[in-house]
Parts: sequence; structure tokens; C-alpha cells
Amino acid sequence: MTSSLLQRQSFIELDARARALALLDAHSARELLDPFDRIKSPWLPRQGIVAQADDGVVVFKGRIDGRPAVVLAIDGAYQGGSMGEVGGAKIAAALELAVKDNLHGMPTCGVLLLETGGVRLQEANLGLAAIADIHAALVELRRHQPVVGIIAGPVGCYGGMGIAAGLCSYLIVTREARLGLNGPAVIEQEAGIDELDSHDKPFIWSLTGGEQRHAQGLADEFAADDVVQVRERLLGCLRRGLPFIHRSQQCSGFVRMLAGIEPVPVPEPAEMRSMVRAALGAAPARSGAAAPSASQRSSASRGAAWLAGLTDNAPALAGFPATVRVVDAPLGNEQARYIAVVPDEANRFPRVRNGEMGLEEGWHLARAIRQWCERDLPGAGQASGGATPVDTGGGATAVGVGKDAMAMSAGEGPTAGGGAGKSATDAALRPIVAVLDVPSQAYGRLEEGLGLHQALAAVVDAAAQARLAGHPFIGLIVGKAISGGFLALGCQANRLIALRDPGVQVHAMGKASAARITQRTVEQLETLAAAVPPMAYDIDSYAGLGMLWQTMQARNADQPTVEDLAAARVLLCEAVADIRADARRDLSSRLGAENRSASSRVRERMRELWGE
Amino acid sequence: METISFSYAAQGAAKGRAIAGVVASGDLQVLLEPAAGRTEIRITTSVDGKAAVWSAVLDRLFASAALPAARIDIDDCGATPGVVRLRIEQAFEEAGAA
Repeated sequence: MTSSLLQRQSFIELDARARALALLDAHSARELLDPFDRIKSPWLPRQGIVAQADDGVVVFKGRIDGRPAVVLAIDGAYQGGSMGEVGGAKIAAALELAVKDNLHGMPTCGVLLLETGGVRLQEANLGLAAIADIHAALVELRRHQPVVGIIAGPVGCYGGMGIAAGLCSYLIVTREARLGLNGPAVIEQEAGIDELDSHDKPFIWSLTGGEQRHAQGLADEFAADDVVQVRERLLGCLRRGLPFIHRSQQCSGFVRMLAGIEPVPVPEPAEMRSMVRAALGAAPARSGAAAPSASQRSSASRGAAWLAGLTDNAPALAGFPATVRVVDAPLGNEQARYIAVVPDEANRFPRVRNGEMGLEEGWHLARAIRQWCERDLPGAGQASGGATPVDTGGGATAVGVGKDAMAMSAGEGPTAGGGAGKSATDAALRPIVAVLDVPSQAYGRLEEGLGLHQALAAVVDAAAQARLAGHPFIGLIVGKAISGGFLALGCQANRLIALRDPGVQVHAMGKASAARITQRTVEQLETLAAAVPPMAYDIDSYAGLGMLWQTMQARNADQPTVEDLAAARVLLCEAVADIRADARRDLSSRLGAENRSASSRVRERMRELWGE
Repeated sequence: METISFSYAAQGAAKGRAIAGVVASGDLQVLLEPAAGRTEIRITTSVDGKAAVWSAVLDRLFASAALPAARIDIDDCGATPGVVRLRIEQAFEEAGAA
């Protein structure tokens, strides 16, 4: 017993660089954008924070079990492993290049060592943008090779990177790991100590710890804190190849489970274990079925008002909860699907009553997007461009396979399939418009316990797949676009449009929570935001980051006038045309602003070093 | 935040590159690369007003051993003199082993 204890090498005690090297085959590893490249955070020094030369992210290219691989290791010791512009860009750039490898016949897989609290609040909107890029590249790479996430602790994996974990092909966890969306301190700040006591560590681990997540089926493999075991689990995952269906595509089981539960009082962790297990084990159902009958009531909000206006008050689809409004209505000469999350004062789930994105909202949004895309698959009664006909009645499974096949034949644009990749089939891929007015994700014990990070991953998965398949996806920001809600529903859009209005705010976290986490006052944060554009909440600062395609002035942002709606429709139609004229289906159109130049610099340098 | 620079005479040149430490509270990260001639050190630190302490620590370290010429960049987050010395020695050791 003692000798095995002495022989065991702790994985957790290794730093990021050592963890990555422990997993790669000996002598196969090459670090890219190492600290000596000195591409540092442009934003931290002006806040009096010392910038680490690798920005807390280590990138290694090499081989694992003889396969080409890229390992991205987040350094949990630097700024809590939070994602800043540069560190986030390193991960995204490496995954993007791994995708290109695969398109050229090199089967590079991805491994993410996730030790992160999510967005670095000192870089807020650029951290959020980088995480959106990571999500996009992860979903693309995942079509070719497995992407394996490893959460070892002690920091765990939260925030937008918790969503990334939910997108991985396989997840390996230890007992010390935690996986969730909102950190305990944030939940305590937003929902009160009765909702979650952030100092009650045993409870927190029982709710979101590695053992619980593995028992729930939200993680695939459990490893002791032992380098040999962690590597063995990793090899096992890679040898399995791609899963038949990714966890983030398994909507119907969760939809049914959530429809049948009592959110109040919040179940114990032991019960939440079996609830999620059952949801994941459930057989896929037809996408149109299973939803609870939803009332058509919804509380007032900007999002609801704009959605109603843009669709001429067309009726919302049945089969969705009151918080998820899905309306099929014309946009120009074609039908589009309009989606919004709206408040519901009487909702069964108390934590979503103000329009927050919670469990049902996540899984139903994913359903709404996937259902729309299923109808446009070849074999769904339209002229086939030669892609394999797919059984569109098969629900989530069929969509995943079918869209992958279609996207892969369309390739990367002009170079694949001849011409600009445009065909009769492409013109029939109808748009999706997400009307964005979301104060945040839901902050709750139930939400964390039942895997809110996974529900939001389902939305990201569906939205990214829609975009990659060729559906024009537009986000119209009419109110708040904060944190996980924005990341899930808005950030995978081809184009983002925003109103120029004080009520339009984009950020990674509400001010009070952000102040608590960064140990500053709200006033100090507001002062900093004036000097550090990515930290600002207002839309003009956000536009300066290059994230928006267009902005528009509205006469009445709360209750749009006839002129406002007409102007918005024109912009939406122009956006659809702009997307269809663009050969790229990725998020690269967001790069190029002066305030985001480090993100481009990282990509250039990574490209230079990749093929050496 | 402050940036402070130092220069010391050296014997020979460092063989390789090395990284030691992390920019966490009470710690520092040392980046060491080979150089010719003298050892040049540039420190970025979150703690202001301690130039004299840095000077004392580095004077003592470079007087105690015949260290090869290197370019050293330090990103410091409030490390104590003991930790500073530890990390620099660690970096030299790794560079020598390279």
C-alpha cells in the first residue's frame, strides 16, 4: 500500500506544461507560442496586473499513442486559468489548424486540459469572443477526430469552458475535479446563500464534483490522481474513435426528463445523479415529439416585443415552454425561424422567471434549431445535390450524422466541391434569427446539479452545426446579451447585429458578481472599463472589438415602431445575402479590428510554427 | 506595476533556454535565454518601490556563483526574496542541463 503510494505520481501536482508532456509520447512534443514568443495580454498591464508570457495557456503539438495530436493545457495557477484574449486565441488557433490538418488528410486529434474558471473578467468581452471561437473550432474538429477533455482539479472547469467541456467527445475527471457553469461564489452572489453556500465544500463537490459528474454520465471516465491512470484513460478514449452521438446532441432524453420533474424543492444530489443518468440513457425520439404543451403566455420584454414585431405576431410553435418562443415567419422571400428566450413569471423553474437561460431553455433551443435544419436536409423532399439521403424522422441522431455528411461534402468553401460551394441545395438552407435579450444564464443549485453547462453546450452544438451546414444564422441584439445565454444562443451566429441603445449591454458577467470575483468595487470596474474596452458593457465599445457586423438606431428600442421593424428586416435580409456571398462558414469575419489585433497575431504565429 | 533592469558580469554563456515558476500570488516566472557577454535582467513586478530589495537579492546571488551570461525576463507577483532566488537558480539549473 505504502509503496504504491510512493510510486504513484500525482497528475494534479504537475503544472500545465508538465501535465501536457506527461500525456504526449516521449520526444514527440513541440511547444508552440511558448513563453519566449512573448505574445502577452495587451489588457492586463494597464490594470496593474502582471502578464504571464504564455498568457496561462500551453500549446503542444506531438503524438499520443502514435497519433498526431494537439494538447492545450490551461495553467490554473495563473489568474485562475481564466481565458483572456491571447490564451483563448491560442486554443482556438490550434484547434482551427487541427481541423485544417484533417481536411488535408492528417488525423490530428485534440486534447484539452481544462483548469479554468471561464472568461477572464479583466478582458471580459474578448475572453467571451475567444471562447466562442474555441466552441466553433471544437465542433468542427469533433467531426473528424475525438476531442478529449481532462478535468483534474483543483480549479475545475467552469463558465464558457464548462460549455466547452460539454462539447467534448469524451471527458475524463478525477475526484478533485468540478464541472459546472456558474461558480459557487457567483451563485451565492446572484441567488443568495440559501441557494448555494459557496463555503460548503463537501456539498459543492457532491453537486458538481468529478465523482458525481461521472455517476451522472456527464463525464465518461474517472481516473485517480495518477499520471499513469490519466494517460491510460486518455488512450482508451482516443482508441474508441468518434462517439456515435455526442452528449451535446442528446436533446430528447433531457427534454423528457425535465418535463417530468418537480423543480421545487430542489432534489438532493443523489437523486440528481439518477435523473441525469436516465436522461442520457434514454433512446432518441423524433424531434417533434415529447415536449410539454406550452401556454402561449409570455411576460413582456424587449426580446418578446421585437420577435412579435418582426414576425407580425405570428403564433409561436407549440411544444416549447413559455420561455422559448419559436416562430416561423417570412424574411424577405423565404421562411426563417425566429427564436427568443423570454421571461415567464409563472415558470415552474424559479431561476428563469426573468428571462434567464436555464435547463429547459437550453435543450429546447437546441431542439428548435436542429428541427429547422433537419427539414432542409437532402432527402427531406428536396432536390438532392448528391449528398446521402438521411432519415429526418430519426431525431437527434439522424441530424448529427446527416449534417456532418453534408458539411463535409461542402468542405471549406471554394476549394471543395467546385465553384463557390453554392448549389440549389444551399439556396434552400433557410435562415435562423436569434433575437437576443437575455440577462444571463440561470443561477441555481438545481441548474448546476442537472448540468446546465451541458444544456448550453447543446445550444452551441446546434447553432454551430446549423452555421457549418450553410444555414444563415443571425443574432439580433436588442437588449442584454450577457454571459452564458449570449455565448449559447448568439455567439455561434454568422453575423451579429445590435441596436445602438443604452439598454443594449454585452458582457461576461453582471456588475455585482464581476466586482466580487475580481475583488474590486463596481465603481472601480466602471472606471477600468473606460480604459479597457473589452471590459465595457456598452454597445459602442463592443462594436470597437469588431464583433458586430452592423448596428442600427431604433426610435423605440423597448417597443419597436413600424419603421424600426422595417429597418431591422432590411438589415436581416442584407445579412442573409452577405452570409450566402461569403465562402467562409466560420467565425473569422469577427477578426480584424484594431482592438482585437492580438487574436490575429496569435493565429499568424501559430500558422508559422505549425508545420515545422 | 514597475519595470526594473539590472546588468551583471558573467562567465561563459548559458547553454539553453529555461522557464521556472508561474505568475501567481507570491511567485514569479523566470524566462532565461542564452546571451553573450553580460547577463541582462528585466523585471516586471506588481509590487512597487522594492528596487533596493531586488538589487540586494540579485547582487548576492550573482556574487555567490559564477553564472553564465543570460537574458533573463522576470514577471513577478509579489514573491519574497527567498522565492526569487529559488526560481532564478532553478532556471539556471535547467538551462545548464539543456
